[in-house]
Amino acid sequence: MELRKLRQLRRLLSMVLLAVISALFLDPWNVLAPWVREAVTAFQLLPSLTKSLVGVGLWTAGAAAVLLLTLLVGRVYCSTLCPLGTYQDLVIALAHRRRPRRFRYEPPPYLLHYAVLVLTLVAFLAGSLVLLDLLEPFSIYGRLVHAVARPLLVASTNAAALTLASAGVYAVDPLPLTTNVGAVLLGTLPVMGLISYLAWTRGRLFCNSLCPVGAILGLVARVSMLRIVIDPATCKECGLCEKVCKASCIDSASKRVDYQACVSCFNCLHACPTVGLVYARPGSRSAQRLHPAEPERRQFLAATAAVLGGVLAQPTDSLVAAPPTKTPHPVTPPGSLGIEHFTSRCTACHLCVSVCPTQVLQPGLLDFGLAGIFQPRMDYADAYCLFECITCTAACPSGAIMPISLEEKKRLQLGRVRFLKDECIVITKKTDCGACAEHCPTKAVRMVPHETLRLPETNDEICVGCGACEKACPTKPQKAIYVEALRRHGQAKEPPKEEPQPESGPLEEFPF
Amino acid sequence: MDRRDFVRRMVGVSMAAGMAPLLGTPVPLLGREDEPPIDLVAIRGGEPDMMFDRGIEALGGLQVFVGRGSTVVVKPNIGWDVPPERAGNSNPRLVARIVERCFDAGASKVYVFDHTCDDWKRCYRRSGIEEAASRAGATVVSGDSKSYYHEVDVPGGRSLRSAMEHELVLESDVLINVPILKSHGGARLTIAMKNLMGVVWDRGFWHSNDLHQCIADFAAYRKPTLNVVDAYYVMKRNGPRGVSEGDVATLKAQLISTDIVAVDTAATKLFGMEPSAVRYIPLAADRGVGRMDLEKLQIKRIAV
Repeated sequence: MELRKLRQLRRLLSMVLLAVISALFLDPWNVLAPWVREAVTAFQLLPSLTKSLVGVGLWTAGAAAVLLLTLLVGRVYCSTLCPLGTYQDLVIALAHRRRPRRFRYEPPPYLLHYAVLVLTLVAFLAGSLVLLDLLEPFSIYGRLVHAVARPLLVASTNAAALTLASAGVYAVDPLPLTTNVGAVLLGTLPVMGLISYLAWTRGRLFCNSLCPVGAILGLVARVSMLRIVIDPATCKECGLCEKVCKASCIDSASKRVDYQACVSCFNCLHACPTVGLVYARPGSRSAQRLHPAEPERRQFLAATAAVLGGVLAQPTDSLVAAPPTKTPHPVTPPGSLGIEHFTSRCTACHLCVSVCPTQVLQPGLLDFGLAGIFQPRMDYADAYCLFECITCTAACPSGAIMPISLEEKKRLQLGRVRFLKDECIVITKKTDCGACAEHCPTKAVRMVPHETLRLPETNDEICVGCGACEKACPTKPQKAIYVEALRRHGQAKEPPKEEPQPESGPLEEFPF
Repeated sequence: MDRRDFVRRMVGVSMAAGMAPLLGTPVPLLGREDEPPIDLVAIRGGEPDMMFDRGIEALGGLQVFVGRGSTVVVKPNIGWDVPPERAGNSNPRLVARIVERCFDAGASKVYVFDHTCDDWKRCYRRSGIEEAASRAGATVVSGDSKSYYHEVDVPGGRSLRSAMEHELVLESDVLINVPILKSHGGARLTIAMKNLMGVVWDRGFWHSNDLHQCIADFAAYRKPTLNVVDAYYVMKRNGPRGVSEGDVATLKAQLISTDIVAVDTAATKLFGMEPSAVRYIPLAADRGVGRMDLEKLQIKRIAV
């Protein structure tokens, strides 16, 4: 195959993948088959590696495939599989259209990049994914689509629905739209702004300075089989390759390529007027390494070993991130086992938030503390977790929410009901209400006689913590009934057995 | 219909008319002047769809209520993500039959919706109502968006003075209220008047401002053209959502009336409760919305 065409192939593949990944986060109608989601997310390296910690599966194979692919052909992950990479390419293309861009060779800030990697590991060992929550590219992209593109889609759908309805056509259904605006404004948008700015001004600098995936794959790519190599015999020293290299990794003056930083975009192959660049095994032609094991790297490796050694030598208990002690702390979604598992496995991609039909799952900001920045939480103010729904449990790409069966879900206790009698309408206004009991799927809340009225009575042993009572409770702002999160999800007891209806036969006679 | 069909049908009709008195179930082919009008029809022992046919026949057919070219809203209870045998939602066969009969009567458009409690799409699907009503030709519409609801005054309301009401109810010619009879934690029972809570948006206000009074106030404002109470499967406890099929009794009954208070009173008795114990019923009766004195009403009782 002609090497020049590799760029085209990369562009095509990356755009298709970007479209599919965007659709995952943009699918308010839930039309995408689950296997599409599984197949696509399995190849997202860090979510899949994280998920592999809770069990081996398709995702493990996906992560292994990515590492193997990088070992063979370099960081094509960064140029085709990574949605944030493609997003940056689009920003770069836009910037280029405004003002033609000339890149220049610039060694990336490796120390910073290694530091990110080491700190990611240290935080992970301490029970927090804080750096992935901040910097993992698939998750950043997911948050962007959820926070910006999805509301636009919903708003335009609703505008269409409204217009059609006013003409008497009810063919388009309006969609619900609630989002934690604070989390979006303070979390998603600043991160997005930073990445867009970096892409606009410095090309793929994010990938070679802050991205933890870039750091890992860069190390693998150092020893990859195929690399971009400048052939001194045919190179005309025109420097075009360097000018189109958005990773700034080609030093055309010294005819060297830093393939640790190379994201395999193949722009250089396309730009080269001769065949001065080849994509080959180093050594098969006269290829030189740009970083012949420089002392800086040795220092880094030594430092890493020391830090890791120190971390591992510690008794792990003391390293578990201080749990958020504020009560009530947020409820975590079904299948997440509890706060500890959830916060130590969630990369904050917000795919669960995107697929949640009631939007009870909401983007978070610091709901689980800094250690769990951006991680979503259950918000029972305006919605509740449907008794018959396990959608999010099948969607999580990082294993923070584990797949569970519907039967398991129906007995899963996410939290326990708490009733503030003195706040209840029945007491304060002396009228019947019953909204809480009405919505309770297990009758953990039921109405019992109270003077001439009926007052809620709770049984938190059979409560599943779905939040239906809390959502339905009309007292404001303090709900008279709410769910207190369990640190570790429990098992709700079977509701007490009731006799089947005795007189269940057809009516024999009208009682009037 | 060709001529042969017509003749055959006429023969059938005249035979039925002739035989009917012998069977003890007079079929009112033509409203007889000397007979007082029927206030309420109670049917038992049949399937939901067929009981409706028998009942509405006793009232002179649905064309009495649904004019040619009219637009109709059929408002079932579709509140919960539970299957029909759990009795959380109105019976899908009953809803479909009513839709069919609306079209038979010449309706130009029949809409079906509810402002559900659980996720609306799941409720519509699981209840079987979306499929059954669509197949019968109805336009099944979402009740899940505030944009469909418009502020209306509730004149004379004691607790409820205004409400956000679904535009289809505001714009359509006919409203057929199709509740299911169920136990209810807050309101004691949910029947026809309580079912109208599903055409408004802000239910929280009702719950926090004397639920019973709000139900009665709204019933005084919005009077359905017809109320068809589904009492085929009846949730006797743990309502309105229910916990299991153990909550359900198979009563195989149905009530039809234009009087929403009368139909709720009769349904309460069917359930085995005193109508005065369901406070919104006497409240509505006191406001003159309808009548609780069943003994003074013309009730047509049909055993299938």
